[in-house]
Amino acid sequence: MSDSFTEHVVLLGKRQSLVGILARPTRSLPDAPAIVILNTGVVHRVGHHRMYVIMARQLAAAGHQVLRFDFSGIGDSSQRVDHLSPVNSCLADIADVLDSLETHHQVKRVVLIGLCSGADHAVLYAHRDPRVVGMVLINPSIPPTARYYFHYIAQRLLRLRNWISIATLRSGLLRRLMTQARYGVLPQSQPDKLTLEGLQYSPYLGQCYREAVRHGIKMLAVFSALSPRSTYRQQMHDAFRGVEFGNALRLEFFPESDHLFTPSRERVRLGAVITDWLAAMSPTSAATESHPRILRFHRAAGGA
Amino acid sequence: MNPLYLGTSERRLFGIYEPPAVKCGRPRAAVLCYPWGSEYVYAHRSMRHLATKLSQAGFHTLRFDFFGTGASSGDPLDADLTGWEGDTESAIEGLKDIAGTTRVTLVGMRIGGTVAAKAAAQLADEIEALVMWDPIVSGAEYLRSMDITVPAPVQMAAPDALAVAEIDGYPLSARMLRDFEAIDLRVDLAAAEQRSLVLVTERLASHEDLERDMPVAGARAALEFVLARCPWREDVALTGAVQVQAIQRIVEWLA
Repeated sequence: MSDSFTEHVVLLGKRQSLVGILARPTRSLPDAPAIVILNTGVVHRVGHHRMYVIMARQLAAAGHQVLRFDFSGIGDSSQRVDHLSPVNSCLADIADVLDSLETHHQVKRVVLIGLCSGADHAVLYAHRDPRVVGMVLINPSIPPTARYYFHYIAQRLLRLRNWISIATLRSGLLRRLMTQARYGVLPQSQPDKLTLEGLQYSPYLGQCYREAVRHGIKMLAVFSALSPRSTYRQQMHDAFRGVEFGNALRLEFFPESDHLFTPSRERVRLGAVITDWLAAMSPTSAATESHPRILRFHRAAGGA
Repeated sequence: MNPLYLGTSERRLFGIYEPPAVKCGRPRAAVLCYPWGSEYVYAHRSMRHLATKLSQAGFHTLRFDFFGTGASSGDPLDADLTGWEGDTESAIEGLKDIAGTTRVTLVGMRIGGTVAAKAAAQLADEIEALVMWDPIVSGAEYLRSMDITVPAPVQMAAPDALAVAEIDGYPLSARMLRDFEAIDLRVDLAAAEQRSLVLVTERLASHEDLERDMPVAGARAALEFVLARCPWREDVALTGAVQVQAIQRIVEWLA
């Protein structure tokens, strides 16, 4: 293990049923917020490509306490016994975890980090808890916009296979457009499932972002061009026109990344962006070292 | 469920221990070895379920992450199969200590099954039985499944810890590439002296060779097919589902 941090198993929540790993820096940054990393879908706290282990260790080495844990029923955590819906179960888990961190580790300020559904859970939760001072939202759900559809359709129409699907009325694109048109007429105000990318949740998500801004929560939103959710950098602003993000939001667009940041060079860049953003939140932060072994590969492969 | 660390400070390994849910006669214990790469991510739920079912059947179980994988310490580029065999020995020692047994069963999925077979061949006196769930039978076939058809000479001759490929976001070192290419489960199985089960859910060409050579391993080794969905692959519709049939068969066979 590194000399700059230590890792500890922690059991969190009222029933000690949430399994987590807490990385603690040997030398903490003064006033640095703790970081809590949320699951992506049903993948356990290690994350795709071991992404969250490496991220947690890098941020801990930079002086932050970092927790990655499994939501109830995911990974190694047992299920809740209160029969909450999947979304509310995750939100209740976040509250339980922040309570445990505050009680046992004196954590009073937290930044939530999530990818995909993890980002969505952060957005839905953050404005409810004054301990949350920041969010790193990696490919969160984002409603489609007219410009998004223009890009999306243009990309699809360049493929012969899609023309065949349209001609035979088996086109997923047609189905999606019809569904979105229906929800555009009938917006919904409460999320009832884990996928929030449709137009029907646009008002509710907008409300969550508006509340987050009102509570002074800083946000870093990262989007990948090769993710099905976003096609251009400003989509966040276009999708939530009623939200005055101002200086609360930093937007980053990764033109060569897929939804899960599969190539390690993209994860290295993502790590650098997150570190830089956190440093701006905590001015005394030191720059984190890049992952030397991953860089070793890219030098060998001639990459960035 | 008890999360813990084992191994040495240089090779700190993360594991989850589950005590037996029932007491039935002499204590029995099983060490579970995970797959590698994205297979590890998608198989995690099935491996957890397998551990729980074994616990309900009276086993002490310990599933652990190899060095450089999961929540264990280390850089993946510093890992190799010999090191993972050593990690398996550490897990065996740790579980024997916790459970108060002198012998354990090894259960591994994919590369974890292959590593388990290698460890079993080295530790004949300590391994009661060996279960390999879709183990890697042929290294060449495994590499082909990762789109590495024939490793280029420059890859094979590269310094040990240099990444020569990236498989679904996981860097593969030259040393691990060489280790993978050299895999021949038939050799390991012939050397293993324990009662052994190879359980296959996805039939591959290499299984014909294995079937033909099974008699070499004698009556102690069995090859069974439970053709079903592979739990180590991403499946948009079924990610998170558990491979119940294979798990049931493993628990029955061990019981």
